[in-house]
Amino acid sequence: MTLTWQQELKKCVKCGACMAVCPIYRQTGREEMVARGKLNLIERVDLEKPAHKKEIPAGWLEAIDSCLLCCSCEENCSKGVKITEIIAAARNRQSAKQGLNPIKKSAFALLLNRFFSMARLLKAGSFMQWLLWRRLPRHSGLVRRLPLPGIDDKTVIPALPRQQLDDYLRKRKAAPNLEPVLYFPGCATRYLYPQMGLDLIYVLEQLGFYGVVPPEFNCCGLVTWGAGDSKSTMELQQRNLAVIQKHAAIRQIVTGCASCGHALKEYDGLPADCEILDISEFLFRHKEKLEKLVGSRKLNRKITYHDPCHLRKGQKITAQPRWLLQLIAGENFVEMRHPERCCGAGGTFGLSHKALSRKILAEKTRDTDASGAEIVASGCPGCLLQLTEGALLAESSWEARHPVTVLADLLKNDAGKENRKEVE
Amino acid sequence: MTQPVKPLLNQLTAELKAAGFASGQIIMADESRACYGYDATRQSADPMLVLLPESGQQVETAIKLAAKRKLKIFPRGAASGMSGGSIPSSDGIIISLTRMNRILEIDQENMIATVEPGVVTGELQEEVSRYGLFYPPDPASLSFSTLGGNVAENAGGPRAVKYGVTADYVMGLEAVLINGETIKCGNKCVKSVSGYDLTSLLVGSEGTLAVITKILLKLVPAPESVKTSLLAFPSMSAAALAITAMFKNQISPSTIEFLDHHSINAVRETLPFSLPAAADTVLLVEIDGSSTSVMAQSQKLKKLFENKALLLIEARDEGERAQLWTARRRLSPAIANLAPHKINEDIAVPRAAIPAVIARLEQLSARIALPIVCFGHAGDGNIHVNVMLDKNDPEQAQRGVKAVDEIFAITLELGGTLSGEHGIGNTKSAYLDKEWSAATIAAMRAIKQAFDPENRLNPGKIFPTPGSQPCH
Ligand SMILES: Cc1cc2nc3c(=O)[nH]c(=O)nc-3n(C[C@H](O)[C@H](O)[C@H](O)COP(=O)(O)OP(=O)(O)OC[C@H]3O[C@@H](n4cnc5c(N)ncnc54)[C@H](O)[C@@H]3O)c2cc1C
Ligand code: SF4
Ligand code: SF4
Repeated sequence: MTLTWQQELKKCVKCGACMAVCPIYRQTGREEMVARGKLNLIERVDLEKPAHKKEIPAGWLEAIDSCLLCCSCEENCSKGVKITEIIAAARNRQSAKQGLNPIKKSAFALLLNRFFSMARLLKAGSFMQWLLWRRLPRHSGLVRRLPLPGIDDKTVIPALPRQQLDDYLRKRKAAPNLEPVLYFPGCATRYLYPQMGLDLIYVLEQLGFYGVVPPEFNCCGLVTWGAGDSKSTMELQQRNLAVIQKHAAIRQIVTGCASCGHALKEYDGLPADCEILDISEFLFRHKEKLEKLVGSRKLNRKITYHDPCHLRKGQKITAQPRWLLQLIAGENFVEMRHPERCCGAGGTFGLSHKALSRKILAEKTRDTDASGAEIVASGCPGCLLQLTEGALLAESSWEARHPVTVLADLLKNDAGKENRKEVE
Repeated sequence: MTQPVKPLLNQLTAELKAAGFASGQIIMADESRACYGYDATRQSADPMLVLLPESGQQVETAIKLAAKRKLKIFPRGAASGMSGGSIPSSDGIIISLTRMNRILEIDQENMIATVEPGVVTGELQEEVSRYGLFYPPDPASLSFSTLGGNVAENAGGPRAVKYGVTADYVMGLEAVLINGETIKCGNKCVKSVSGYDLTSLLVGSEGTLAVITKILLKLVPAPESVKTSLLAFPSMSAAALAITAMFKNQISPSTIEFLDHHSINAVRETLPFSLPAAADTVLLVEIDGSSTSVMAQSQKLKKLFENKALLLIEARDEGERAQLWTARRRLSPAIANLAPHKINEDIAVPRAAIPAVIARLEQLSARIALPIVCFGHAGDGNIHVNVMLDKNDPEQAQRGVKAVDEIFAITLELGGTLSGEHGIGNTKSAYLDKEWSAATIAAMRAIKQAFDPENRLNPGKIFPTPGSQPCH
């Protein structure tokens, strides 16, 4: 039985355990910012009340806006309150009253527009980006060349590749001897990090699977859900479900994006026999085969791991990625302190709350530095971008990479050396 | 907010700002103030103003400016309190200490930490562990409650049986009185007997005597290893005998937690190991110390109970240790499933009286026809008594209230106390005179009067006020 947000709200006993883990509370020390306080605000401020007809109280807006939707509070809540659902529902009521933020509104319209799509816009951008941005010397990503409003010289944005994942895949040959699985790459992998997608597909192939990537897959909808745009969220869900239905012969769907996996697993109306798997879960299912493939190869650089919130707290996946890194690096895999702590990215939070996001990031960066690792692995493009910014801000030399790209390099290179060529 | 209050508050906030408070440290908006008026008892009242000082000096300033207007002050830590200690009244100011969360010093030579009151207990523990040091008090709320709140409530946890409670670690304090002056008490000396021991007086004073702004805490060397075992017994009295036998045989556990048979039944199905059907009481025993001593004591434990206990499991590694603890950890959510509501009391009795209390509570449960689930700290006699009921049924609710009266009566009769950990606050103040004589309470009131003659610092707590109702 699913509860309404009002019923969910009543489950909170105000114990305060969410204070132990909320990154926003940790930085602000303000009760309104922790889940308990946010729930209290949502309970107390009835947006329908005549007093709030004209405007929503500023304290409510600030608190409800200051949430990473990282699910840390949910992981620590013994009452199992679905806090992020309540917050998303509150944002939905807010946007129904005030309308969506215009930037988000036009961005979401792009996600849904079949003709003038995100893909086209970003491709156009890939030709122009060098006017404004320059490549980072040691990391993948770009920083600004000229002063830009709201963006400082340490803000990292991904380089827009000329060739998107779909462009590469169009040239792909069929492989009838491989077993097909659906691969949901997610927007970030498709448009920003195609190499990550290619690496994942390569690893699947090595294991005897063919990653089918239907070009009509849309955005998973997590970002629209988090912004309180339930209409777009439903639309995106329906479209993706239709794609899944169309490929009725394939019942396993893998993804390499923690956030997409988290969103897909929550879809209403997912066929009962359909399985959504994070790539680390999928690889673990084929443990023996992968162990054989890797053989005696070992990564000879120290590597550590950051738990993406949407993997650890959203999907309760902690062991499989660690098993994978252990396999890749053996003793060179070391845990950092507090791998579970959020990196502060939180979708668009890093852009809308830059100062706060960077404070959260600074702690993550310190823990990564202290681990002594040269690579920090994390199965979420959002985290990778944020971690890269962290390294830049702290002038640290480690790089942030998806575990699957590290694995792909190892499998491609007998000596375990990495002389990879970034795709342009 | 009533209208006449508005100009007063505007004036006060203007003065606070002139004295250095940033606007982010002053919370006035209705909706935001409301987030500082509750605690884990789920009571709620909106304070007129909330301040987030960042130094002892700011606390002084705030209290002085409030004193000019005779306003009430309510100190607040993490508000994880279980007795309503931080609940304000509508004409009072909340001073929230969460922003004063710096660890000021870890003095490794003297093994003393100096902290601000808003430091979270678990954060200090993590920090000192880097130096091979240990801060033992371990309330279950340690990952979010503040050290200031721990000191004010004299919090304790499972490790109390070996390591004692918060009071045993507080070497000294700085605190602001209701007139805005700072007092210092205690120091870094192990032996220190000059003047009244105000440190001990302030520990457990529930924010009614002074606002604590700095704390000196004793640290001990971190134990080298820990061994966890789970033992099952056919009765509470057999378990109690076992505990006595442990001490007699020079086994000195750092933790002895117990689960009664209701608790066992609530979690049995969810455990990663199986419990014999005849198990009536389960003990979770931890032994810590140097590796050799832990080894020797665990072997003794094994030898003693291998045949006498229905079950004895010894954890071989961290994973197995975590598995054994699941029995205790799953308890709270599991018993929550037994009934829509629970009344939760944290009585304490001398250790030897545990079987008698449990037997009497069993009879009480039968009489009032409501399940009473007991678990807690067998090592130190602190028992969490949970009366399970549906408060929406007025008749059950009434029986519940009656049960609490009787629980306290039984406890006091057996030489126990109303609260082992959570304090009196406003939820148990109506029972204070059941435990203490009029003369004793008068002595306590005289102390309160001396510190706070106008009754402006956390009023309504500890002492019964005319018309104060017990709150469950
Ligand atoms: C899930 C859960 C488990 C718990 N387990 C335990 C347990 O095992 N053992 C235990 O002992 N308690 C336990 N508690 C109760 C509670 O956590 C403790 O009483 C804790 O010490 C309160 O700390 P706090 O920071 O939350 O204080 P608050 O609740 O904010 O305040 C408690 C009291 O201290 C006063 N106070 C706070 N800070 C100061 C200060 N700086 N100066 C003066 N007065 C101050 C307040 O006025 C109030 O009277 C538990 C609570 C919860 C919710
Ligand atoms: S942990 Fe859960 S029940 Fe406790 S205060 Fe936070 S949201 Fe409420
Ligand atoms: S989702 Fe994350 S940021 Fe939001 S309230 Fe919970 S812990 Fe805090």
